Amino acid sequence: MDFFLFVEGPLLWIAFLTFIIGSLLRVGLFLSVSRKMDRIIYRHFRWKYVMATFLRWLLPINKDVAKNPVFMILAYVFHICLIVVPVWYSGHVGLWEESRFGWSWASIPDALADWMTIALVAIAVFFLLRRVISADIRLLSTFSDYLLILVTALPFLTGYFAAHSTLGSIAFLGDNMQLIHMLSGELMLILIPFTKLSHFILFFCSRGATAVEFGRRGYSV
Amino acid sequence: MNEAVNAKEVMDFLKPKMGARFTMWQRICSHCGLCANTCHYYTANGNDPQMIPARKVRFLNDILKKKGRIDRDYLKKVYDTAYHECNMCRRCTLFCPFGIDIALMISLLRALLLSQGMAPQGLLKAVDNYKEFGNQMAVTEEDWVETLKWCEEETREELAGLKIPIDKKGAKIMYTVNAREPMFYPQDIMEAAKIFHVAGEDYTFPSDKGWDDTNLAMFCGDLKTARIIVENTFKRAEELEVQQIAITE
Repeated sequence: MDFFLFVEGPLLWIAFLTFIIGSLLRVGLFLSVSRKMDRIIYRHFRWKYVMATFLRWLLPINKDVAKNPVFMILAYVFHICLIVVPVWYSGHVGLWEESRFGWSWASIPDALADWMTIALVAIAVFFLLRRVISADIRLLSTFSDYLLILVTALPFLTGYFAAHSTLGSIAFLGDNMQLIHMLSGELMLILIPFTKLSHFILFFCSRGATAVEFGRRGYSV
Repeated sequence: MNEAVNAKEVMDFLKPKMGARFTMWQRICSHCGLCANTCHYYTANGNDPQMIPARKVRFLNDILKKKGRIDRDYLKKVYDTAYHECNMCRRCTLFCPFGIDIALMISLLRALLLSQGMAPQGLLKAVDNYKEFGNQMAVTEEDWVETLKWCEEETREELAGLKIPIDKKGAKIMYTVNAREPMFYPQDIMEAAKIFHVAGEDYTFPSDKGWDDTNLAMFCGDLKTARIIVENTFKRAEELEVQQIAITE
């Protein structure tokens, strides 16, 4: 099979299945182990606290935003772009329509997708610089912390290049940008269940567990 | 002198306690550093990066990765961090976007240290006292009741008719104290008795175990003894059929 066909076919399946099944397993593992070893969460479980904490932290209405407004606003914008662009970019929606699933949904204007992509890459650069320059953050950082910023930014950067033929004049890159873009996206998807990127779904387990106790004690959730 | 530590002992202690939350928190801590300036140890030490909460819990993961193959010098470093760089106030958890409970992890490290015989001398003595006498200060039931009777006599001179009820069944409130009060500060007991008397509040002291509301076992990660201490108080409250438990601090 031609390499390109492999990447846009079987490898894409592998990437998505790894991402989906891996992430579900992570949550499943948490639920099953916590039922045995962290029973306290369930003994005092109240949806009131869990819902309140999800709201407070998914929206910028929490203590961190008050304490670190610049970082938090950038982090929120970063995450919004991270989710909106891959799902609602017209180029991707078109691919889903052409696929065996034939799913279709509304897309955002291409200009908006462009700006969101640029914003994400810019903020990723900020995160990387911050991690390298700040003595505090550098002390905490592992190789994975640096790598995952690149892994996350690369699909967006290469996606932009592919859509705009930005590096079209450079022979290898121009011809293969779409391939590189797909590979970078697949890399990120595969890494999600195995790294801190799994926080996209474990966020709910972690916040929920803490909120159950903190809410009960009257602390801020 | 640096001795080796029994790696199997360490892992046998830690592994059964690594619940779902601990494992999850190790995985998703994004090293964002937002916990840093929420910690008073960090700010009081000139923003020392070694005091960042996310940094202070590094030992847990490290010990597991090393499969318990550590030595006494290593444990001394853990002791320094767990006892001198954190007091488990959980302020960092309020600000962590994932609500990671750093204090709980420090408590686990303290429990590990305790299992290896390392804890502050004062806490160790207190835990022994809780186990034998039901209170931190090794006060016998006889001495406790005597102290209460003496306080009643003393305070009656000021407020006629003042009573210090002991084991009054069906009272509204069961009042518990810091074990240091009968030992060193009986005036605190007397003052509380005066307030209860003037307020006309229906209360009682318990006579036996359960009157000490401190819990130093919790501070060295001895959660088993910590539970017994709290259970003592609740058992007495149930036996006396009171509606509320009041604590002195």
